[in-house]
Amino acid sequence: MPAPNSLILATAEHLSRFAPFDSMAREHLIWLAERLKLAYYGKNEVLLSPEHGDVKRLYIIKQGAVQVEQSGTGGAWLELHEGESFPLGALLGGRVAISTFTAITDVFTYELSADEFRELLRLSPVFQDFCTRRIATLLERSQRSVQARYAASTAEQQSLRSPLSSIARRKPVTCRPETPLREALDTIQENRISAIVVVEDGDRPVGVFSVRDLISRVILPATDLATPMREVMTPNPVSLPSTAHAFEAAMLMARHGFRHVLVADAGRLTGVISEKDLFSLQRVGVTQISAAIRSAMDLNTLVRAAEDIRQLGHNMMAQGVAAEQLTQILSTLNDLLTQRVIELECSATKDCRYHFCWLAFGSEGRLEQTLSTDQDNGLIFTVPEGETVEQARACLLPLAERINRALDACGFPLCKGEIMAMNPNWCLSLDEWKATFSRWIDAGDPESLLNASIFFDFRPLLGKEQLAEELQAWLLSKTTANPRFLHQMAANALRNRPPLGLVRDFVVDGEGDQANTLDLKLNGTTPFVDAARVFALATGVAATGTAPRLRGAAPKLNIPESEVEAWLSSFFFIQMLRLHGQHEEMQAGKAMDNRIDPDELNDLDRRILKESFRQARKVQARLALDYKV
Amino acid sequence: MGLLDRLFGRRVHLDPALSGRLDAWSGRPEADLSEDFDATRYVVVDVETTGLDLARDRLIAIGACAVENGEVVMADSFEIVLRQDRISTKDNILIHGIGGEAQREGLEPAEALLRFLDFLGKSPLVAFHVTFDQTMIKRAVKEYLGFDFKHPWLDLAYVMPGLLPQFAQRYRALDDWSNYFEISNFARHSALADALATAQLFLCALPLARDKQSSCYRNLQDLEKAQRWINWTG
Repeated sequence: MPAPNSLILATAEHLSRFAPFDSMAREHLIWLAERLKLAYYGKNEVLLSPEHGDVKRLYIIKQGAVQVEQSGTGGAWLELHEGESFPLGALLGGRVAISTFTAITDVFTYELSADEFRELLRLSPVFQDFCTRRIATLLERSQRSVQARYAASTAEQQSLRSPLSSIARRKPVTCRPETPLREALDTIQENRISAIVVVEDGDRPVGVFSVRDLISRVILPATDLATPMREVMTPNPVSLPSTAHAFEAAMLMARHGFRHVLVADAGRLTGVISEKDLFSLQRVGVTQISAAIRSAMDLNTLVRAAEDIRQLGHNMMAQGVAAEQLTQILSTLNDLLTQRVIELECSATKDCRYHFCWLAFGSEGRLEQTLSTDQDNGLIFTVPEGETVEQARACLLPLAERINRALDACGFPLCKGEIMAMNPNWCLSLDEWKATFSRWIDAGDPESLLNASIFFDFRPLLGKEQLAEELQAWLLSKTTANPRFLHQMAANALRNRPPLGLVRDFVVDGEGDQANTLDLKLNGTTPFVDAARVFALATGVAATGTAPRLRGAAPKLNIPESEVEAWLSSFFFIQMLRLHGQHEEMQAGKAMDNRIDPDELNDLDRRILKESFRQARKVQARLALDYKV
Repeated sequence: MGLLDRLFGRRVHLDPALSGRLDAWSGRPEADLSEDFDATRYVVVDVETTGLDLARDRLIAIGACAVENGEVVMADSFEIVLRQDRISTKDNILIHGIGGEAQREGLEPAEALLRFLDFLGKSPLVAFHVTFDQTMIKRAVKEYLGFDFKHPWLDLAYVMPGLLPQFAQRYRALDDWSNYFEISNFARHSALADALATAQLFLCALPLARDKQSSCYRNLQDLEKAQRWINWTG
């Protein structure tokens, strides 16, 4: 085989500027370049459409722009540029193209025959991986580059994404429920451990006993050392499967104040994770921060903890923790913080007992908080015997205001729209909430729909949670039976379109300093969030998070799992970009917002963002189809 | 080979193996110039020389790529450097980037030209500003192979203004047309890269030609002739 000439080399070099060609082996790239044909399409010429029958070639754009139109849905919705390949799905499936590809400028494409495409799949694992997993691969690579970017500062830190199986190395030390206390304590002493697991049938965990329980359960009550373990252990221990991630163990510990989490597969004990095992996480600080919050006795301590939470967000981004986990951890810690703020303020107010429940709305309600979040909260209360609703409210409002102001001091700014518990409109009894929600559902005017999109994502934070649960159950019974309202919500959601451009990749807006930027929240994540809400309200899914809502509603709506996961990958990718943008703004001392300039993204991220917006269009298409909007 | 030899057209004495290859090439059937574009293989060519003097400057390199079925076949491409006894000037080297060493290490000219003919076959040629490429190749073939190279040529410098008369006044150079079609060039003034850019321009010309009911090389040659006439008179 003669050495490749300069044209082949230049072609390989050109391709290597774009994914996936940039990570393919050089020999495979040369192999590809040697088999390409270069074709030309004049402006407005159709390169490929369903009418062309089975796809015979892979197209790689050398220069120019190609517009993609999905047949039947009408309207162009995606533009492809230099270095992008199509139609991968149709080639892999050996079927006709679903979309029509039209040149919107003069276009030159490199083309590879379908047979050679299949041969390349066999030759190059990188290429195969890219074609079959596409968005997943792009996402992984983006995440790797994020990790690399921060690697210097965090190289030694253990990944929060390691599976528990890789952390729980020791064989768990166990005893039986009938084992006498003395014998169990001896075992603890011999093995120099801090906790023992109580098991039945050899390996089925039924309880835990830790040295921290000694004072309260053994020494102070002067328990007889002959007492069986069954009587002193903490029953019904919480466990995680060995495939769960380290961060999930850290979250459990943070949420409940546990110091140990059992690892069990199919009810069989396989290990124990202690705080110490999550040493690196402690340094990152999930457990540390949660412990500090739990024991905080004044607002100043909580203000510091709130700063730590933001710092933690940065560190975790540096580790490449996925947006889904990151926003969950941030929300969990913010929950804890809020709970502690409420507890502290309540203990200072003797006459207000917990006859209320604190509610979180909006992103906090969905457990999707980013680094920049203002308050969205409210109160639901029961009216104590002998009092009127107004009297009960009057008693709670000053407390609510103190809580709102304390949260403001912790870095959760007061809500500009006054969606806060201190606002009498959102400090309501259960019946009042029902009446308000009913009004919105029946009215269906823009303001009611907007309110529904904020308030219907409510979640109880502290207090009489059964009040919130009752409201939730009532709401779902109401919405599932109200197609007119769902139709209006869907139509409202569809007003907000992903900013895919016809002339450029993206449609940007904004003025002044924000010129050429786009709003990742409004145009990026909101379409997913809105669609998930409608699907959940329609199918009676009680979850508030976008991911659990979509995953919960999908089977009832016959949406394939793979489709939902593609939506969610996209949703979380945009969330990740929001977090990065906010993080960088914070570092630069600028006000945090949700705008980014797509030109400042690297090629890879820009492409994933494009793909993510494409997925947003798909969610919307589904919504439009289901509600005939 | 001196001036006298050239004037008297003394025959070059070729190695029998080389002359056998030359005879084989000459014996290949000529291309049918009235066949549809899609049925014919065309070769787009560009040359690099020691300078722009048609009488005195020498051929340094040939780059060529084939267009078949209305597409550039990337693997069906060709580039060769002819060995130079005298290295071209520094200014000249800066243009095409073929350095002194590469020039000295080039292929023996007769062998290089035969390889070009083998690559070409009887495919009709396409170039931009044909006179230059044609003269240089013709002279080198005469000098090293002692053979009168007669071949169909098509000049895009005349075809393009014929197809897009509205730009005839403004666009003259390959770069003008490349800019218009946004054709990028991976290495301007490298023979093969310029040949590819010219080939891409040829691809752009084909649908325009079909719009004007031209479907074969001969139609485009006629268009070229008419355009030369317009330029001459206009």
